[in-house]
Order: sequence, then C-alpha cells, then structure tokens
Amino acid sequence: MIDLVAQSLFSGVLSGAYYALIALGLALVFGTMRVINLAHGELVLLGAYISYTAEEKLGLDPLASLPLALTLVVATAMAVYYLISLIKTDRELNSLILTFGIGVILTNAVLMIWSADIHSTTTPWYHDATILFDTLFAMQAELVFAALGIVLVGAVWWWLEKSWYGRALRAVASNRDAAKLMGVNPQLTEVLSFAVSGLLATVAGVAIYTAKVIQPSLGHHLTVKAFIITVLAGMGSVPGVLLGAVLLGVVESLTVTLASSALQELAGMVLFLVVLLLMPSGLFGRAKRRG
Amino acid sequence: MLLDLDGITVAFGGLIAVGDVTFAMAEGDVLGLVGPNGAGKTTLFNAVSGLVRPTRGQARFLGRDLVAMPIHARARAGIGRTFQVPQPMHELTVRENLMVASRFATGRIDRERIAEILDLLKLGHKADADAATSLALTEQKALEVGKALATNPKLLMLDEVLAGLETAGKRAFMHTLAEVRQRYGLGLLIIEHDIETITRLCPRVVVLNFGRLIAEGSPDHVFNDPEVIRSYTGGEAA
Amino acid sequence: MNNSVKIAVFLALSYVAVPLALGSNTYVIGLIVAALTIAGIAVAWALLGNLGGMVSFGHAAFFGVGAYVSALLTLRGGWPVFPAMLMAGVGAAIASVATMPALRLRGPYFALAILAYAEIFRILATELKPVTGGAAGLLSIPRLPNVLGLDFGSKLGGYFVILTIVVAAMAAYHLIRRSAYGLALKAMHDSEDATRVVGVNSIVLKAWMLMVSAFITGMVGAFNAHYINFLEPDYAFAGQWTMLAIVSAIFGGYRTVSGPLAGALVVYLVDQLAFKPILPQGHQIVLGVLLGAMILFNPGGMMSMLTAKFLRKEASHAA
Repeated sequence: MIDLVAQSLFSGVLSGAYYALIALGLALVFGTMRVINLAHGELVLLGAYISYTAEEKLGLDPLASLPLALTLVVATAMAVYYLISLIKTDRELNSLILTFGIGVILTNAVLMIWSADIHSTTTPWYHDATILFDTLFAMQAELVFAALGIVLVGAVWWWLEKSWYGRALRAVASNRDAAKLMGVNPQLTEVLSFAVSGLLATVAGVAIYTAKVIQPSLGHHLTVKAFIITVLAGMGSVPGVLLGAVLLGVVESLTVTLASSALQELAGMVLFLVVLLLMPSGLFGRAKRRG
Repeated sequence: MLLDLDGITVAFGGLIAVGDVTFAMAEGDVLGLVGPNGAGKTTLFNAVSGLVRPTRGQARFLGRDLVAMPIHARARAGIGRTFQVPQPMHELTVRENLMVASRFATGRIDRERIAEILDLLKLGHKADADAATSLALTEQKALEVGKALATNPKLLMLDEVLAGLETAGKRAFMHTLAEVRQRYGLGLLIIEHDIETITRLCPRVVVLNFGRLIAEGSPDHVFNDPEVIRSYTGGEAA
Repeated sequence: MNNSVKIAVFLALSYVAVPLALGSNTYVIGLIVAALTIAGIAVAWALLGNLGGMVSFGHAAFFGVGAYVSALLTLRGGWPVFPAMLMAGVGAAIASVATMPALRLRGPYFALAILAYAEIFRILATELKPVTGGAAGLLSIPRLPNVLGLDFGSKLGGYFVILTIVVAAMAAYHLIRRSAYGLALKAMHDSEDATRVVGVNSIVLKAWMLMVSAFITGMVGAFNAHYINFLEPDYAFAGQWTMLAIVSAIFGGYRTVSGPLAGALVVYLVDQLAFKPILPQGHQIVLGVLLGAMILFNPGGMMSMLTAKFLRKEASHAA
C-alpha cells in the first residue's frame, strides 16, 4: 500500500512537470494581457500532432521534431495574438469568447487533418521503464520531459526575475501605463509573452505525445487544467505555478490509486472550486478575482 | 443621532486614508466636510455608504450599527449619496434612473415623488432623455442628487456637486439644495472645496487633513484656525 | 412595423405557416427542432449574459440536470411528462443554487467556475449508477404524450412543444428586461457601486438571473430527453450544448430578444445543411470562424446589424 502511494505521488510529480509548462504559458499571457487564452490547450495539442506527423512521415524522433513543432506552434500563437489585438472593447470578456472560438477552430482543424484516432509515439525507447530507488517506476519519456519541464520553468523564472525583458514583462503586468512611461513597449512584451507561451506549449505537447496518448478533444481539457493550476497558484508567481501543477498532478494520481480513474477529473475540479471560492488569493500568491 | 461616527479608521495596506475620525450629526443637521485633496473625505463617504469597510471604529445610523450592513441595506435605511464623478446609469433615461432608486430603496416606484424631484432639480424637460449621453455637466450633477433623493434618504451625502459649475450655476444649485432640504427635512453632509459655498450652506464644518480630524466648529471659527490654514496652504502647494 | 405586428407575424409564421409548409417533411422539421433546442439554451445564455453581465461556459450543466430530472421522474417516479418537464426546470434552478458562490467571482473566473460545475455534474451522473444508470445511460425515456388528439410525440408535435418553450423564454427575457429589475441589471453593467448605493442588492439580482437562466435551460434539456428518448452523461452534459448556444447567441446578438433564436436557426441549419455534407470531419470549424468574426467585427450580432440597416433605409426614405 505504501509502495502504491509512493508510486502514485511520484507519477503525480512527473505529470506536474508538464502541467506546469502548460499552465505557465497561460499565466504569462494572462499576466501581460489580462487575457485568458482558451485556445492554449489546442496549441499544446497542435505541437503534439506535428510531432506525430514528423515521426510518422519523416521518421523524426519526437525530440528531433521540436524545431519544426516550435516554428509552427509559435506562428499559430502569433496569429492568436494578432486576433486578440484586434478586439476594441471589453477585452476581458470578448477575448474569452474569441479564444474559445479559436479553440473550436483549432480542435476541428486537428480533427480534419489527423482524424479522431488516438496516437502515441512509436519510438519504443520512450515507453521503456526505468526503476528508481528499487521501487519507483517511470517511463523514459516521463523522466526526460519532467527534467526538461523543470529546466524550462526554471529558465522562465530566471528570465522573468533577472533579464531586462523579463522585468519589462513584469512591469507591464503590474501597471501598463507606468511601464509605457518607463519606455517599455507593452505590445512587444505581449508578443513576447505569447511566443514564450507557444514555446512552452510545444514542449508540453511533445511530452504528452511521447508519454500519453493524444486525440483531438484533449486540447480543451488541457486548457481547463492549466486554468485550474493558475487559480491554485494565485496567478503571478512562477514557483506557485510549479507547486500548483505538482499539486494537481499528485491529487489526480492519488485519486486514481485510492479511488478510481473515473474520479480523476472530479478531484481536480473540486480542488479548483474549493480554492476558487474559499481562498481568494489562491494557495501560493495574490490575485483579485472578486468583483 | 442621525449619524454617529466613533474612531472610524480606513487603512489601505499601510496607508491610513481615514484615521480615528469621530463626529456626530443630529437629524436635519447640515455639516460641511472640508480638507485638502487626499484628506480622506471621499473615503469617509465610502465608509458610511458601505463601499469600503472601516479597519476600526464604530458607525451608527439612527441607532443602527452600520459596520456589518451591506451597501444596499444602507440605502434602504436612509443613506443617500452622490459621486464626485457623476455615474448616470448606462442605457437608462433620467426618469428610469430615479425609478430604479425608488423601487429598490423604498420597495415601490413612487412616481409622484419622482416627478416632484425632477421638477425641483429642473430636470423635467430631460426626463425621458438618455441619461448617459444627453446631459450637460450641471444636469448630470443634478441627476446624481436626484437619484439619491429618490431613495427617500434621511441623510444625503453630496460629494462636490457644485465643483466645476460657474458662479451663476452654483448660486442656482445652492438655492435648489436649500429647497430640497426644506421640502424633505434631510440631514446634509457636504464635501466642497469652495470656502464661500461652505460658509453659506453649512452652520458647522469638520476639517480633515491626512485622514485626521483637525478642526470642528462654525465656518468662521475653523477657517481662522491656524492649523487649518496651514493644512490648506501646504495642501495647495503640494 | 410596430412591435405587436411583428410579434403577430412571427407567431403566425412559426405556429401556422412553418407547420403547413414543412410539416410533412420530417427531415426538415427534425432539423428545425434541433435548432430550436439550441435556441432555447441560447436565449437562456443571453438572458444571463446580457442582464446578469455573466458569460457562462457551463450551461450544459443545467441542460443535463434538467434532462436527468425529467427522465428519472417519468421513468422511476411515474410522473406525466409535462409536469416532469416543469420540475426539470425547477431542478436545474436548484442546481444553480449550488453554483451561486461563483457569483462573487469576476468575469473569466465565473465563466470557468461554471464549466467546472458542468464537469462535476457530468462525473456525478456517470458515477451515481443506481440512480442514473451510469455511463450506459437511460433507455426508453417516455416520449411526449398525446393530449386532446394532438400527438406531441411526433416530430411536428415536438416542434410545437420546443417552439412554445423558446417563445416563453423570449417573453420572459423581454419582460424581465423591461421591468425595474431589468433596469437595475442594465445599470449595474457600468457601475455596480453606483447601483448598489441606491438600494440594489446586486448579488441577489444576479442570483435570480442565474436561476431563471438555469430553469429555462433545464426545461430545454428535459424536452430533448423526451424527444430523443435516450440519455447518457457524455451526451447530456456535452460541451457542445454550451458551445452551440454561445455561437448562436453571439452570432444573432445576445443583447436582443430575437437574436439568439435567429442565430440558432442560421448557425445550426447552415452548419448541418451546407457544411456537414462537405466536411464530415470537423465541419464545426465554421462555427469557430463565425464566432471569432462576430466578436471582432460586429459584437452587436446579426440582428443589430439588420436593424441598423433597416433604420438607415427608413431614414433615407424619409429624407
């Protein structure tokens, strides 16, 4: 039993790493633009499917398909940014509906191009098992992408904290007008946040393709998970997002181990509502959600 | 007592917007609330009307504890207020603005009183015009007062309703306010910058500076108080 | 044309002309019934969006609850279908009470909190096997009854029932919008504080709008259950219901009473008749495009665009 729980905690942490990549992208865009990109999960999905095609048609290893996937997903993210920037009034709510529509477009585009079949990597190495500390089991893919995920989250954190661009980004997030006066171009930082969000989404997409299975309706669920994590994190702290992602991963995986896999989503939703309704600043940060 | 404030303090993080303010008004009193910009006058209005929650202190209205009372309940209890920047209700006509106030604060739409208020405030000819788009500044200010009056208040709090009007308009509006007060027997709590206006309207004045009450008394008395003069000259210069 | 003439023409068209012209074509009537089902949810969504100022991504929650309540009352409780459908509305309204803590949340948070509720309800319907039949669903749900020789169980009969629900929902939307409640709700859009200080309890008003919206959506869900005689959680709580309603309401114009209905008819029929045959996989891509284009280029929706055109024409005639 203890072994089971330990294994499930471990698997939860591994899922948390790629959840964090997805959620961080959503939070970055929200931070700079006050826009919740409901098509974010579809960007992740797009990355996953490009990796699938690269493997299937060109024989590329999923990791080797990253440059191609990155190019296409970041380009799509730029298109999403461009459309959002066309909104003139009531951006908070109109962008929600617009990106919801973009999500519908992307999901159906995936469905048209790749059909509703499920796919996963055919490179066997990724699915090989590794045993850690004699008891903990993981697929190679999970380990590779958990490591890559943590490195990327750390890099983004460092970038936001230390680099000039990161500071500009944070300045725009906290006060757009003041940032403008300081000579920061808010548009540029918005574009940048979208680009980074696309980058993180791509890596997460390839991670899902190698460690799990992909299908067209997955995008929507990923967006919801990412939103749940940002609510847990309280929007606006990178370590908070990582902790929130791991928490969601662990809660889901414990639910599967101790109850049933059918309740996996329920656990996340209940956690989400409890935090949303009872903890106005999330678990790890500050946020104003009350109106 | 109509309004009884005891040690009201409002802090935003570390900033004390209103600090330990104590004063009272009897029914029908007219009280001026003055002080330099940023002295905490509007914050005090917000604390009385419920838009901000005091960090400390007691507030009573006609003997009822205000602190735990929600905003809409305060309006129903008889607290009416205007906003410094007029906030006409979007997409509604002038009359509809008053209807909403009457319906929700008193439980029924008192059409007679609404007509009377529109008449008093000289808004009759604009009654069915769109409130947000077709009123001049004076009329917007009058509508602010009209909305508050339609709630059938016992205390009317006026936040700079005369600011921005030219002299003739100011005179006329002061006349209207006197009429309103007489007609409805209201207590008035008035924020105003113009000392002449305050002196004419208010037999008693309370002065705030940096959130603190620094003087209280008749206009003649407080406007000759050296501390008040200092606060004003300091405040103006800043 | 004044309003009562317009309404009379609309009612005559929908209750007399459409059945006479298309009544024998069960395929077309079936499509129209499906479009009206979407229209019912779209009206309810628009009522909450326009009057309550709240965008919901989880109306499927109320649709599903209504469907299950009515199905279970008739199947297990032996209730007659029409009273069960009313109770389904009540059930959905009660379910909406569970979502009310979310009313304190701002725009996007509310929208997604409601989505979480829809997911939770779907999972509960799947897990409560003894009551709901679980993932396998409920079969042979009683069809709409025969009343005074009118067979509501037929395609055409179903048309009259859902049409009446939609018309009633539109009437409710119109009456609420005109009432003092509607005025106060409208006033809240710009400044909630200025509205509250004149005595409006904004949370209670929003809660009422949520309940009315849930009630209508629940009735529509119940109608659908008795019309297709079958339910399963993934169908009853499908995000599709919410998505189609949002596209319809936005496309038609959710600030007008007729917009959601017009939007649903156009969106659903164009999708089914024009795009599904060409693009069997992923034809809903067109819906996403319509939604995005409307938000970007004409947020007022189709009906406001038509009205504006009509007014311009009148004006140029007058000149």
